[in-house]
Amino acid sequence: MNTRRIASALALAAVLGTPAFAQDRGGILNFARYDGSQLVDPIYADRNPDIWMVASLFDTLLRLGADGKSVEPGLAESHEMSADGRTVTLKLRSGLTFADGSPLTGADVIFSLDRARNGDLSSWAGLIGSIDKVTADGDMITIALKTPDPTILTMLATFNTAIVSKAAFDAAPGATDQEKSAAIFAKGGPGVGSGPFYLCGFEQGATMDFCANKGYWRQGADGKPLPYLDGVHFQVIPDDATRILKLQAGEVDVAEFVPFARVAELQADEKLNMELFPSTRIIYSPINVRATRADGSPNPLADVRVRQALNYATDKAALIGLVLHGAGKPMSSPLMAAATQDSIDMSPLYGYDIEKAKALIAEAGLPAGTKITFTTLAGSADDATIFAALQQMWAPLGIDLVVEQVDGPTRGAKNRSGEFDIHTYGWVNDVNDASQVVGWLGHTPTANAVGTGWEDATFNSLYEAAQTEMDPAKRADEFAQMQKIYAEAAPLLFMYETPFAVAVSKQVSGYVQTPLGANVFEEATVSR
Amino acid sequence: MKSLAYILKRLLLMVPTFAIVMVIIFLLVRMLPGDPAIAIAGDKASDADLAAIRERLGLTEPLLVQFWLFLTNTLQGDLGRSIMLKAPTLGVILDRLPTTAFLTLYAVTLSLLIAGPLAFVAALNRGRWPDAAIRAVFQVGLSMPVFYIGLILLTFLAARARLFPVGGIGHGFVENLHQLFLPAMTIALYTSAIVMRNLRAAIIEVLDADYVQFARAKGLSSRLILGRHVLRNALISTVTLLGLSIGNLMSGTLVTETVFAVPGVGRLMLEAIFARDYPLIQGLTLTFAILVSAVFLLTDLVQSWLDPRMRLT
Repeated sequence: MNTRRIASALALAAVLGTPAFAQDRGGILNFARYDGSQLVDPIYADRNPDIWMVASLFDTLLRLGADGKSVEPGLAESHEMSADGRTVTLKLRSGLTFADGSPLTGADVIFSLDRARNGDLSSWAGLIGSIDKVTADGDMITIALKTPDPTILTMLATFNTAIVSKAAFDAAPGATDQEKSAAIFAKGGPGVGSGPFYLCGFEQGATMDFCANKGYWRQGADGKPLPYLDGVHFQVIPDDATRILKLQAGEVDVAEFVPFARVAELQADEKLNMELFPSTRIIYSPINVRATRADGSPNPLADVRVRQALNYATDKAALIGLVLHGAGKPMSSPLMAAATQDSIDMSPLYGYDIEKAKALIAEAGLPAGTKITFTTLAGSADDATIFAALQQMWAPLGIDLVVEQVDGPTRGAKNRSGEFDIHTYGWVNDVNDASQVVGWLGHTPTANAVGTGWEDATFNSLYEAAQTEMDPAKRADEFAQMQKIYAEAAPLLFMYETPFAVAVSKQVSGYVQTPLGANVFEEATVSR
Repeated sequence: MKSLAYILKRLLLMVPTFAIVMVIIFLLVRMLPGDPAIAIAGDKASDADLAAIRERLGLTEPLLVQFWLFLTNTLQGDLGRSIMLKAPTLGVILDRLPTTAFLTLYAVTLSLLIAGPLAFVAALNRGRWPDAAIRAVFQVGLSMPVFYIGLILLTFLAARARLFPVGGIGHGFVENLHQLFLPAMTIALYTSAIVMRNLRAAIIEVLDADYVQFARAKGLSSRLILGRHVLRNALISTVTLLGLSIGNLMSGTLVTETVFAVPGVGRLMLEAIFARDYPLIQGLTLTFAILVSAVFLLTDLVQSWLDPRMRLT
């Protein structure tokens, strides 16, 4: 082979091999899921495997920015909030269509938002309870509010307010909205949503297929419509080990929810990218703060000093090492993950200090050998590890920690009835605002401060003020005050944040799982 | 005519069986700790949401009323709507049942193919090394948990050697013979160990029986003796054993279908229990009960065909 031929071969290889010249397009991404979807509809999605897929099939009026905190234009190219905070006006992009090419109009927006705020239909209706009326005039949408609502723009970028086709629902068989929704989902097809994909195959519990919406309004880097992929093929593989084997055998391109014990091994696999996507997931343990336990006996955990002592005596770094094999970090805000809007960094939040813990216990006069029950999920290896670690960490305080194992629904029932001392729990935000998680963890009227029975009048009034505070700086300050009060009162054992661990073949790029958990395939590519 | 009467009698006997099964299913599901409303709506749901769900599911009705509704609806073929799948229970079960039926039959076939010849080899070489070797290998199969066998097969035959796909299900009979080979094999390895031991013992017993000694003395060929006398008589107890292990096979699918990502009724049962999906658990348990009863009936019929002495009892 002469030099010229080598040179031209190299030049050709450079052209073919450089992605800057051509955007990878086409192909099907094979994705192994831990659990299957059951009904992907903006207002009925109530389980994560459903919620996290809504945005792929249905578009929202506004979108979350890349930073995960700001909102930017979606189906609406512009939006404006009135000075009194009681009216939002939005202008729809021109020429919007659903995936089947039928026009997306103001009537669809009214239909979708009316559906989403109907409490008889959707359990998410409360998130947009401030909406009084939605009207449309051509491309102009007007949303009138009953009260000023600082979260309304964020909610218009949230899955439950995504736009569905009124015509598709009118035409669907079924007596009720839910029956119609189920019929539309069962049938699949491009008529109901305007997202980057439409549902083109579904076998309950086994597989699901997304096909590209060729008329999607967002443009890719090459100036042509997104998505880059032709579609996504999902397989439901509930067993962790099998899901990873399937990826290693090359039968799928992505395996989600990799157990943390396997992260290091997969990081070393040169064919894979072991992604640890930042999440809003926090792992914590509610502490029952009521003066007496459910059986009427006095509750040692009612004393704030005991709760603080437990927090000081808990070595978070050790827990993260044991349970997450290092793939996590201690909670830095007592009320939310660091990725949540308005979280403040209070780290180290109860940094490990056994002497301080012992002093607090002595001050509280807790008798040695005090028995405390730690309720865990039966069958959860993580919970078993947490219990074993805490039992040892708290033994120097004279605490005799005993375990009680229950299943998920039982733990939920105990949380509500207050029949527990301390139990494991976790949380992922569904919306991109602090109010949901703060209401859940601390606002007594919402959920009894995550079942702990903790009540603080200042905290509650700050929370209620933040619901209508339109000045972002003032609102941030209210959330900051709440975080400080909550940290001091320690109604929780503050533990750690975990990322979403997803193993992705190196042939894939651009796949993202957002901090809220949503699976985003819009800009994903696969090169085979 | 007599066998028809026998079948009718057996079918009539099933009525009280099912009456008891229905009561047990109904009560067991409601004795599970944990609130189905929380299982449905999740931990984040408000108390009002939970109350509405309980109302909608009829859980606020007295237990007797709930049972009456369950009974009358079931007799009309209405198993209610699955809570977690938001679809009619019967349809969901019928969708998933063929997969599990295929897997179970495949596993039974494989275990007979494995156990049959080896049992003969072991029995005919009683006490010598082939017998010891075969029994030792099956002892290992019997001692290992089903999910562990499954993971070993997956790791070596699927992920490493790439001979089979790692989990999932294919389309059509032929594709699924390949696709479901590993899960069927996982169940078969366990079942064949039991069948092999039983069949070996039965063959040995028959070989020692007077009529076989007599047949030998008459000068019949070994092939004829083994085929006509030994196999047929040894099979009687094996058929009983397989029939009785249908329950085991079914529970084997719970684990196997999860490990191998096979969307059958076994995995569905696990999911339904975790979700406290009362209608689905009830429907599935009833389905299992019907299947087990049907298999028992079939076992009896096959037995009476193999062994004429049992026809009149």
